[in-house]
Amino acid sequence: MTTRREFLKQFGAASLVSLGATPPSFLARAAAATEAKPDERILVLVQLAGGNDGLNTVVPFGRAEYYKARPGVGIGKDAVLKLNGELGLHPAMDGFKKLFDEGWLSVVQGVGYPNPDRSHFRSMDIWQSAKPEKDDVSSGWLGRALDSTVEQHVGKVPGLAFGTDKLPLSLVASKINVPTVRDVKGYQLQLGPGNESALKTHKQALERIASRDASAGSDLDFLRRTARTAWSSAEKLKQISASYKPATAYPGNALGNKLRTVAEIISGDMGTRMFYVNLDGFDTHSQQANVHQTLLTELSSAISAFVGDLKGHGLADRVMVATFSEFGRRVAENGSLGTDHGAASQMFVVSPKCKGGVIGAHPSLTDLDDGDLKFHTDFRSVYATLLDRWLNIPSEPVLGGAFRPVEFV
Amino acid sequence: MANEMQRTDGEWSRREATHLLWRTGFGASTDEIQQVTKDGLDKTLDRLLSPPQESAEFTKSDALLRQAAFDSGNIADLKTWWLHRMVASANPLIEKLTLLWHNHFATSNAKVDSVPLMAAQNDLLRRESLGSFRPVLHGIAKDVAMLVWLDSNSNRKRHPNENFAREVMELFSLGVGNYSEHDIQEAARAFTGWHVRDGEFWFNAIQHDTGEKVVFTKRGNFDGGDVVELCLEHPACPRFLAFKLLRQFVEPSPSKEHIDALAARIRQHNFEWRPILRELFASRLFFSEPARQSIIKSPIELLLGAVRQLKAKPNLQSLARLSAELGQDIFEPPTVKGWDGGRLWISSTTLIQRANFATALLKSNQLGSISFAGLRVEDDVNYFVELLLARDVGPEAVAELRQFAKNQTGDAETRLRSLAQFVMQMPEYQLT
Repeated sequence: MTTRREFLKQFGAASLVSLGATPPSFLARAAAATEAKPDERILVLVQLAGGNDGLNTVVPFGRAEYYKARPGVGIGKDAVLKLNGELGLHPAMDGFKKLFDEGWLSVVQGVGYPNPDRSHFRSMDIWQSAKPEKDDVSSGWLGRALDSTVEQHVGKVPGLAFGTDKLPLSLVASKINVPTVRDVKGYQLQLGPGNESALKTHKQALERIASRDASAGSDLDFLRRTARTAWSSAEKLKQISASYKPATAYPGNALGNKLRTVAEIISGDMGTRMFYVNLDGFDTHSQQANVHQTLLTELSSAISAFVGDLKGHGLADRVMVATFSEFGRRVAENGSLGTDHGAASQMFVVSPKCKGGVIGAHPSLTDLDDGDLKFHTDFRSVYATLLDRWLNIPSEPVLGGAFRPVEFV
Repeated sequence: MANEMQRTDGEWSRREATHLLWRTGFGASTDEIQQVTKDGLDKTLDRLLSPPQESAEFTKSDALLRQAAFDSGNIADLKTWWLHRMVASANPLIEKLTLLWHNHFATSNAKVDSVPLMAAQNDLLRRESLGSFRPVLHGIAKDVAMLVWLDSNSNRKRHPNENFAREVMELFSLGVGNYSEHDIQEAARAFTGWHVRDGEFWFNAIQHDTGEKVVFTKRGNFDGGDVVELCLEHPACPRFLAFKLLRQFVEPSPSKEHIDALAARIRQHNFEWRPILRELFASRLFFSEPARQSIIKSPIELLLGAVRQLKAKPNLQSLARLSAELGQDIFEPPTVKGWDGGRLWISSTTLIQRANFATALLKSNQLGSISFAGLRVEDDVNYFVELLLARDVGPEAVAELRQFAKNQTGDAETRLRSLAQFVMQMPEYQLT
């Protein structure tokens, strides 16, 4: 179905006539039909683990300081995929370039937090807990968002960490247990040979045993709740059609495979509003050129295929993808043709519903914080925008304060 | 709270014996539990801390498996070698400690890519498992696998690489918050030139920064060994180690009081493990009610525990793969931080896989063989609850189990297998 946005775009390109303030009525109906209700909107969070080198991802090719700081690993001006007169994407990101040209990709620049921590683990905890001031890793920002809307999620699987074994801190909640699924096939309870009714009896007995109360907050309580979540979500996943046909070809990489299954689950509609996927390997201390190229190819190709697939199924308008990494890297390269742990960097937001374009100024390459870019946009502002304007979940209680929204949606 | 480290004066029964065996090893069979119940605490601690000789059979298999790994150069074979030690050694505590230190000094073959180097690091950790922390921390700073893992060859005089200096403080001795970024930069200079050449540690004098450094406000022409000593002398070091020991052996979230109490003993005994562990394993704290069944089993504890409880003949290769799928791939920890453990072992995926493990072990021969042929028990429900859960499960669960046992058809062996499978799929089984 043609979306309002696409119609306007095509119409605008083909005609000199302005539509004016009121679109034709057929279009208004179509728009109403495809406009997702706020509680049907979905966030797919992509973690770039290891600390992505933001400066070589969105390259400030227009600035001489960049090439001065990076004589070995800098990306040449002619190679970058230009976004404007001073910024260009890494040459591996042609998928992102197309999304950018369509207005579906926002680049939020200069994102970070005060007193940046350069430990992978602590910084990742900060990004995921969204509590930079406190050493409190008992819950994640998306987990708290789910907790605050718990009544909407009864009988659903509201969050899902995909392609991972470990529940990321971002999704740790206190009222809801978010499942982590590596792949749908391995996500089935197996009880062995036996006739169907015996196996059913076995499973029901296990469910009853796991349904007993344990003292709240105890490990046993946690285990029982997780068991119940696991067994019921496995049942739901099983019911999702195994004959899902992607509308676009996915690249054969791991992120592509994960996102393909995310698309499958979205189409099966389990009420999931938050998906979490991980792409690891960004800790590029030495000889980074090839590794970084491979990772960015994976990122760009997988997300573009995913968005294309969703579009083909008429689901793209419901979904927003956001990427984050625990930190960027130092402005100056190190002595091993790599880059060390840094601070501020960019975030990507991808959706037909985002405003697109480059948002915010590029941080200075000379006015640095101990060799690192200074942030101007608190990462919690981006989170607040995703919560308030996209997921329609009030951000203030989740983030413990009000953060100025960022104009990407 | 200092009296928490005092010797327990509580009762000694089968439950206490099971607790001690589970925590200091990997599961325990009925025979072992009965023996330790009879021997009592002191005699058992004597045996755990002054390990008996390995059997000739074990020594032979051990040597063969190790040789096979060196011959093939395949890390999967070295995993098999180590799992065999964990399952079959007469000294499981030593293997458990080695695993604790492998997690502490987490080094992955994914980058090191060498069976001999990974084995050499493992030998170092095992050699000092009942010895002292001092030689381990010094040894690890020159351990070739570690040097490769943390890019020491790129730590050069004019371009210090902070990787090892950061981890030696953050993860190996002090913990976050006990040093400054400046301490790390200075310590990195002290480790410059600690390189690897031809698979061996090599002090590359040309690349060593001989200038003055300031670490923890102390000033001197330090080299790497001096920095290690400064870390050992730092007051945070015994506390950090106490936290690690408590988390492994006593409770998932150690309180400050418990950490301080054990840290004082670690300092008192100057990092000598034997007296420290003896006090810990005989303490009120170790046997206290909140400590019981308070730790979520790691994949290795789950898998090998089941094998030892049920006296299975395991397929070690399959177990190594399954452990990796469950999140604990020995010799290939995910990051230098090792495995977080605790609740992070558990997700819906891994809980389903943990339940499926019970099915695979008892309802197929994919993971090895089990026989209950010689088993004669009066009350099968009670037998498996005590052997596998060692706790009061409550009347509802007992009734559920009795009903389940009654529903089972087939021969005695099949019924016992189903019952054991069911008990292992109860959420309680994930706790130790």
